[in-house]
Amino acid sequence: MVGLRYVSFLAAITLVLLGWVATASAKPSCGLNNGKPATGEPIPIGSINGVTGPDDFSSSAKAADAYFKCVNANGGINGRPVKYITADDQWRPDVASQVATKLVKDDKVVAMIGSNSIIECSVNAPLYERENVMVIDIAVAHECITSKNIAPVNQGPRLSGVGMLRYAAEHLGVKKVACLIWNIPGAPEWLCGGFSEWGKRHGVTVQKVIVDPGSSDYTSAMLQAAAFNPDAILLNFTKGGIIQSLAAAQEQDLGGKYKFLSLASGYVVGLPETIGTYWKDRFWTELEFKPLDSAGPDNQNWIAIMDAYGSKSDPRDTFSQGGYLAAKIATEAMLKLDPAKIDRASDSEALRAVKGFKTDIMCSPWYVGDGKRHNANHAGMIAVAHDGGWKPEGACVEIDDPELDDVFAAEGVKAK
Amino acid sequence: MTLLPFVAAGIGTGSVYALSGVGLVVLYRSSGTLNFAFGALGAIGAYCTWSVLRLGVPPALAWVAGIAVSTPGSFLYGLLIAPLLRHRDRAVRSVGTLGFALFILGCTGLIWGEAVPRRLTFPTDQYFALIFGVRVTYTRLLALCIAISMVGAITLLLGRTRLGLSMRSLAADRHLSSLLGIPVVRIDAVAWLISGLFAGVAGLLLADLVALNAVFLTFLVIPAIAAAIFGRLQSLAGTALSGFIAGIAEAVLSAEPAVSSYRSAVPFVLALLFITFVGGRHLAAMHE
Repeated sequence: MVGLRYVSFLAAITLVLLGWVATASAKPSCGLNNGKPATGEPIPIGSINGVTGPDDFSSSAKAADAYFKCVNANGGINGRPVKYITADDQWRPDVASQVATKLVKDDKVVAMIGSNSIIECSVNAPLYERENVMVIDIAVAHECITSKNIAPVNQGPRLSGVGMLRYAAEHLGVKKVACLIWNIPGAPEWLCGGFSEWGKRHGVTVQKVIVDPGSSDYTSAMLQAAAFNPDAILLNFTKGGIIQSLAAAQEQDLGGKYKFLSLASGYVVGLPETIGTYWKDRFWTELEFKPLDSAGPDNQNWIAIMDAYGSKSDPRDTFSQGGYLAAKIATEAMLKLDPAKIDRASDSEALRAVKGFKTDIMCSPWYVGDGKRHNANHAGMIAVAHDGGWKPEGACVEIDDPELDDVFAAEGVKAK
Repeated sequence: MTLLPFVAAGIGTGSVYALSGVGLVVLYRSSGTLNFAFGALGAIGAYCTWSVLRLGVPPALAWVAGIAVSTPGSFLYGLLIAPLLRHRDRAVRSVGTLGFALFILGCTGLIWGEAVPRRLTFPTDQYFALIFGVRVTYTRLLALCIAISMVGAITLLLGRTRLGLSMRSLAADRHLSSLLGIPVVRIDAVAWLISGLFAGVAGLLLADLVALNAVFLTFLVIPAIAAAIFGRLQSLAGTALSGFIAGIAEAVLSAEPAVSSYRSAVPFVLALLFITFVGGRHLAAMHE
C-alpha cells in the first residue's frame, strides 16, 4: 500500500515537472529577452505582401510582426522598438511601386523584412538598390534571387522544383515529367526551362505544359499533360491551382497512373485534408524549410512566438517560418549596432555582413554577403500527403540546380 | 493528338458557362439589369455551405444554408438598393450590381480570406459517364441539366404566368409599366429573389466544378456575359447553347500548344466575331 502511494507520489511529481518543462520550453525567446518593453525612438521597417488578389501571401509578414512585437516587449533593439509597417500590393505592379515608394521615401524604412509577393521584386528591385535598402524576404519570383539588395530566406520556386525533381528521379524512378505552369511572363522559361536544363544533366525529360491562369478548365490541362505519357506531373501553382489540378486529376483517376509533384507552394497546412484521402501517398511536395512540426528549438520558438504574439488565425505555414527567420536575422543584425546610429546605411551594412546564421528551421547555415545576387538556402526536404497531413520523406538534400553554379563557386563549393 | 477527349472535357466547362450565362439572362429578361453580382452571390453561399459542413451538419442542410444566404442577399439588394436606381438606364443599373459584387467579394475576403485551402465536393463527384475516354462526372452533367431546367422553368414563368407578364413588361419599359399599375418595386424584388436562388444553386455547383475561390467565382460572370451576348441577352436557350459551345471550343483549343495558353479568351473572341458579323442589328436590344 505504502509502495503504491510512493509510486503515485513520484508519478505526480514527474507529471508536474514535465508540465513545468513543457511550459518552460513553450516560452518565446527573442531579441534581448529581458521582459522590459522598449520605449525609445522607433526603428521603421517595412514589408510588402500580396494580400488581396488570387492568393493571400501575408503569413510571412504576420510572423515577422509577431516576432517584432516579441522584440519590442523584450528590450527592443537595445531600447528602441521596431515600427513594422506592412503594405498590400494587391498583386498589382502599380500598387507595388506606389507602396514601396511610400515606405522607402516617406516612412524612411531602414530595411524591408518578411515581404512576399509575386510581383514586388520585379517592380521594386531597382528602387531598393538605388536607395540602398536591404530586403530579407520570401522569394516567389525570379527577380527576388537576382538582385543585389534582395536576400531571400527561402529557396524560391526554381530551386524548390529542382529539389522535387531530384527526389522524384532518385526515389520514385521518374524519368519523364510534364511541367504544368501558368502563363505568367517569364515563369515557364525560368521554371520549366530550368527544370529541363537540370534534367539534361540527369537523364530526365521535362515537357512544358502552359496553363491559362484565367481558365476554369483543368481537365484539358491534365489531358495535355497525359498526352506526353509522363511518369510524373509537376504542378507549378499556388494552392488554388494545386487544388483545381488535383481535383481534375482525381476526376480522371490519374492519381495511380502518374506521380503528382509540387513546389514548396504545395506545403500548406490543411491541404492534404482538403484534397482528400484519394491523394494519400500520391502527392509529394518540396519543403524549403524543415517540417512545420519539427521538434528543433528554433522551430518550437517560432510556434511559441506565434502563439504568444500572433493572432490565432495567423497561418502557421512555411511562409510564416520564413517571416519569423527574416525578422530574427534582422533583429540579430541590428542588435550588433549602436542603437543611436541605426539608420538605413548602417542597417544595410549589418545585413550584408550576416554569415553563418544557424537555425534548425533551415537545412544549412544562411548568409547574405556582398554578392550580386543571393540564394543562400539551397537544401531542402520532401513530404508526401498522408492521412490528412504531411509525412516527411528522408533528410535534407542539397539542390544541384545549374543556375546555382555561380553561388556554389562563390561559396567555394565545386559546381555540380 | 485526338481532339475527342478534349470535346468531352469541354462539356464540363461548357456546363459552367451555360449555367452562369443563363443566370445572367434570367434577371436581364425579367428586370432589364445585367447582374454582375451573380457569381459573388453564389460564392458567398458556397463559402457558407463550406463553413456549415465544417460544423458537422448533414450536407443537404448545408447546401440549403448556402442557398439561404445567396437568395435573401439578392432579394435585399432588389428591395433596398435596386429601387434607388430604378429611373436610371440599364447600363447604370447594371454597373450598380458591380458595386454589389465588390461589396460581397470584400465580405468573403474579410470573413474567410484565402489563407486556408478549401474545396467543396458533392456525392455526385464519385459517379461518372465515360465519354470519348474522358470521365464526365455526374456533377458536371447535373450542372448541364440544371441549366436546361432553368431555361425551361424561366421560359414557362415568363411566357405563361401573370408574374412573368409583369416582368417582361418591366424589362421592356419600366415607366410605362408603372403607369399601367404594375408594382415595379415588388416585381423587381421577386426577379432578384429568383436570380438569388439561381445564384445560390449555381454557386454551389461552380464551387465544386471550378474552385471555392471568391475572386474566381465572382469574375466567372465575365465569360458568361460573352455567352449571354450570343443569346442577345434575350434567348435563354441560345445563351445556354452558346455557353456550352464556347466551353467545348476552349477545351479543344488546349490541344493546340500555340494558342492553348490563351484559350480562356475564346468566349470573348467568339462574342466579338458575333457582334461584328452577325449581331450588330440585334444590339439595339441592349439599349433602351
